[in-house]
Amino acid sequence: MEKLSVEEVKHIAHLARIAVTEEEIEKYRVSLAKLFEMIDQIHLIEGYNDDMMFSPCEEEAILRKDEIGDMLKEDEVLLNAPHKNGKFIEVPVMLNE
Amino acid sequence: MSKYIDLSILEIHALYKEKKLTPTMLLDEVFERIEKEKDLNCFITICKEEAYSDAKRLEQEEVRGLLWGIPIAIKDNIVTKNIRTTCASKMLEHFLPIYDATVIEKIKKEGLLIVGKMNMDEFAMGSTSETSYFGPPKNPWNLSFITGGSSGGSAACVAARITPLALGSDTGGSIRQPASYTGIVGMKPTYGRVSRYGLIAFASSLDQIGPMTRTVYENALLLNVIAGHDEKDLTSSTEPVEDFTAFIGKDVQHLKIGIPSYLVSDVVSDEVRCVFENVVSLLKENGNTVELVDISYLEQAVSLYQVIAMGEASSNLARFDGIRYGYRTDNANSVDELYEKTRSEGFGEEVKRRIMVGSSLLSSSKAKIYYDKALSIRDDMRSSFLQAFEKYDLLIAPTTTTKAYSLGQGLDDPLKSFMDDVLVIPANMAGLPALNLPAGFHEQLPIGIQIIGAPFKEATMYQLASFLEEKLALDLEGGVHHDEI
Repeated sequence: MEKLSVEEVKHIAHLARIAVTEEEIEKYRVSLAKLFEMIDQIHLIEGYNDDMMFSPCEEEAILRKDEIGDMLKEDEVLLNAPHKNGKFIEVPVMLNE
Repeated sequence: MSKYIDLSILEIHALYKEKKLTPTMLLDEVFERIEKEKDLNCFITICKEEAYSDAKRLEQEEVRGLLWGIPIAIKDNIVTKNIRTTCASKMLEHFLPIYDATVIEKIKKEGLLIVGKMNMDEFAMGSTSETSYFGPPKNPWNLSFITGGSSGGSAACVAARITPLALGSDTGGSIRQPASYTGIVGMKPTYGRVSRYGLIAFASSLDQIGPMTRTVYENALLLNVIAGHDEKDLTSSTEPVEDFTAFIGKDVQHLKIGIPSYLVSDVVSDEVRCVFENVVSLLKENGNTVELVDISYLEQAVSLYQVIAMGEASSNLARFDGIRYGYRTDNANSVDELYEKTRSEGFGEEVKRRIMVGSSLLSSSKAKIYYDKALSIRDDMRSSFLQAFEKYDLLIAPTTTTKAYSLGQGLDDPLKSFMDDVLVIPANMAGLPALNLPAGFHEQLPIGIQIIGAPFKEATMYQLASFLEEKLALDLEGGVHHDEI
């Protein structure tokens, strides 16, 4: 099994929006490579049909009536926000980025 | 002296009707047992106050259905209004849902009493429940062994007879595999049979909520309550909900039963094979036909599952960004840094690994060669199963390749948690109902078998399961190490 490169791990971590330390990168070079090696076994399969199964659900999607129902209250929306300011959810400054 | 909580649900119901027992009296026993069995670490949150308050309310009304006043434990990835729901993650350690999942609404309406939220693998990712932020639950049969996972807390709770009923969820075997390791009955219903509204999503096309119970009959009773169409879940089925207990107790004589050959290949240990062969002999002796059947692509089912489950997980878990709810890092100067550090600090090792693999598989350069291909083969696999059901009434197989093993044994191997589920994953891939039934023991640890049905054939599965349950007549109380009985 070939280890992933440091750059590959950094790229994947960025796609996943997960910060990684140098030490973690070394671990992921091995553990992610092991997983990808196993996943690559699907390339042993040939001769399959092109129909894709996105979900086992075979029924037509049923839409509910377009009626106004119960709505979330302001305090419910804010209940679990980690940082809030009055009735707003607070985030770091982003305009200067 | 026997406790009321150890009686069957039918017996408890009769006592309720005769007014010889009250829900409060039953809860006293449950909370006493929770305290006594705290070494199992199967609860993340205990809902004592809420449960007693619900019980008092029930006591003001007439006894209703069979599950009225019965205590139940809920896997901690099913949201419960005003009761902390953590998914066994630091990310949701203090998360207080503002609504009830549809299954919770249904069980509350029926008068069941929620006594706690159960330990599990973080975000249901794992096969031993050891990835929990709150430490692993222990197997009641031997405290140094795993419960299996991811619904390990629910399994341990029922196996230790703390509650007669629990809800779990099954994405790649997470109800059936711990049920096998702890000696209880666990059903993953047909995909769409039970609403997923309020189940914190892992892999949406695979996830399904199901009952975990002491007996087959009680399992069917609970499925009766939670099944049915829900307009809040687009994938929930409009298939009518029958009485799942309807065929229980009916004779089983002329069934045609298939065994998918790969599921009894050399991946299975001798101890499990021995238990399984005993069941096959029993079925044949009673006039049923049992033969091997080939189902396509089972050899690669784990790899296919990894692509689909991790791909969907990476998308589903993108919502945990530290903004609207959940953990947020204290150490960020920009929004990008906020996302990346929040997710790095809030998720555990297994979850991060799976999100990273999934993100990579769904990236533009890889999606077609991995994800699209996996979905195509998945379609063929389902067709192969459906073809088998034209000939066979049911399929059977072992549930797990081995019995439960020691805590810590598989922690360093990122593939172990997937290989543990090699026999249970195919039913999720094909959206089929599948049930674990305790079928024997090896070295005082339980071993289960799996019954797999055609879509929406749960009632027939329960018929076969109850027949075997009666014939095997196992003593499953060994998982109870409270000593008062």
